[in-house]
Amino acid sequence: MGAFIYGVALQWKLDLRNKGVLITYYLVPLLFFAFIGTIFTSINPEAKETLIQSMTIFAITMGAFLGSPIPLVELYSSEIKKAYKVGKIPLWTGIVNNLISAFVHLFLTSIIIFLVAPIAFDATRPDNILFYFVSLAIFLIVCLSVGTVLGLYIKSTSKLTMFSQILFLPSLMLSGIMFPVELLPKGLQTAGFLFPATWGLKIMTRLQVDLLLYLPLIGFFVLACIINFIKLARIGID
Amino acid sequence: MNVAIEVENLVKKYGNNTVLHQLTFTAMQGEIFALLGANGAGKTTTLECIEGIRSYQEGSIHVHGKIGVQLQSTSLPGSITAIEVYKLFSKWNKIKGDMTLLERFGVSDFKNKQYKSLLTGQKRRLHLAIALVHNPDIIFLDEPTAGLDVEGRVALHNEIRGLKEAGKTIIMASHDMAEVESLCDRIAILREGKLAFLGTAMELTQTYYGESRIIIRTRYPFPTRNLINSKQVKTTENDQNYLAVITEDIGDALLELLTILKELDNDVLDIKIERATLEQRFMEIAKEGR
Repeated sequence: MGAFIYGVALQWKLDLRNKGVLITYYLVPLLFFAFIGTIFTSINPEAKETLIQSMTIFAITMGAFLGSPIPLVELYSSEIKKAYKVGKIPLWTGIVNNLISAFVHLFLTSIIIFLVAPIAFDATRPDNILFYFVSLAIFLIVCLSVGTVLGLYIKSTSKLTMFSQILFLPSLMLSGIMFPVELLPKGLQTAGFLFPATWGLKIMTRLQVDLLLYLPLIGFFVLACIINFIKLARIGID
Repeated sequence: MNVAIEVENLVKKYGNNTVLHQLTFTAMQGEIFALLGANGAGKTTTLECIEGIRSYQEGSIHVHGKIGVQLQSTSLPGSITAIEVYKLFSKWNKIKGDMTLLERFGVSDFKNKQYKSLLTGQKRRLHLAIALVHNPDIIFLDEPTAGLDVEGRVALHNEIRGLKEAGKTIIMASHDMAEVESLCDRIAILREGKLAFLGTAMELTQTYYGESRIIIRTRYPFPTRNLINSKQVKTTENDQNYLAVITEDIGDALLELLTILKELDNDVLDIKIERATLEQRFMEIAKEGR
């Protein structure tokens, strides 16, 4: 257990030293939050109602799809995994350590948005804070599990930047965090349901718990876990 | 001497490509055993199969004792510090914070530096400390001194000798023949995934059938036309009273030369035989075959 905890703490420190990770976990989401917060709330005062949720979803999606796979690509597509094998360090710890570390980092970013938005942009806080943070945590875990798929399957960080955009940009445009989905053509609205961000916005903006909305997110999570498990088993063999 | 590693009829395939063909050898406890071969001969694959990192399709591998593996230069995250790596490996191997290895290999001097900023020699020393963290019986070294300066190389050689004296078995892959000759008890040479030679460095240079050079200094110039029909002598160089011949059979060639010299009533003032070096022998075996 001591080794596992040390590994998690070490991953947290390594993430803080990794510029690529820091940029996607903190710098860009918070700059984007400041920029969009200023513009959206002055153009459309109604945006204050969902600013916290939409900017949090943006931050989590970016961090999970563009940032969290970076340490995994560095580990599983390099000689580092050999170091794990010969050092008797289970390969799964790379994923779990990264997941926990990324969760904490992105949760912190979410808290910063949650605390700053009402002060800086007069944004409305969610009524049920506990329910909001539980939903946020679920959405965050789902996104990180999908980010893990990218981290395990993509062989280089340059390719990762390209492939991650395939998930990140549609999440941004089709989920409703930038503008209402009702403005999109029907086909794109339907396509939006393929991305966790769409469901994330739905659960985090609800005033009451609607368990049915969690099912798609659970589906994403289970599917990602199966894919990750299969890939990890293959990496373990050779 | 007991057996440390037994490899029997090992077959490894990548898809349809067979990279190790029925490989069989043993390494004994307390010896330094070198695994040599040209690039792509299967050295690293063999080592990784023994280390348990790679699976294999056929054959068996028996390792008698705990193993430690020296990592290669790009094997750790760039931003991790030397002490963090050491602690991580110690904790996963349930070793409490014993820093003596860091002191012994001089890692303490740079323990707080990030891996990406370490010099090649510092990385090698760190890798060796990590390999030994759980006091293994068998240590795998892959190109242990590649990229090191002379001082670093000598220091690491001394460490390797020290490990042997402590009873450890060392399995190493190297391209440095001088290193292999000075350190290793036995050598296995792989060619295209097959065992092409197994024995000591002495056996390799002395008994392997290959070319040698005989240099003879005579009282009078030697007329090389006398050697035109010789079956033993492949090429000759003649300069004044010196004659150099290349042969694959020293005994017969020497006998023939001395017979001719006697017939010519020419005296032999000096004879020197130059056998092929380990490197030449290795090239012959590893690249061209017998």
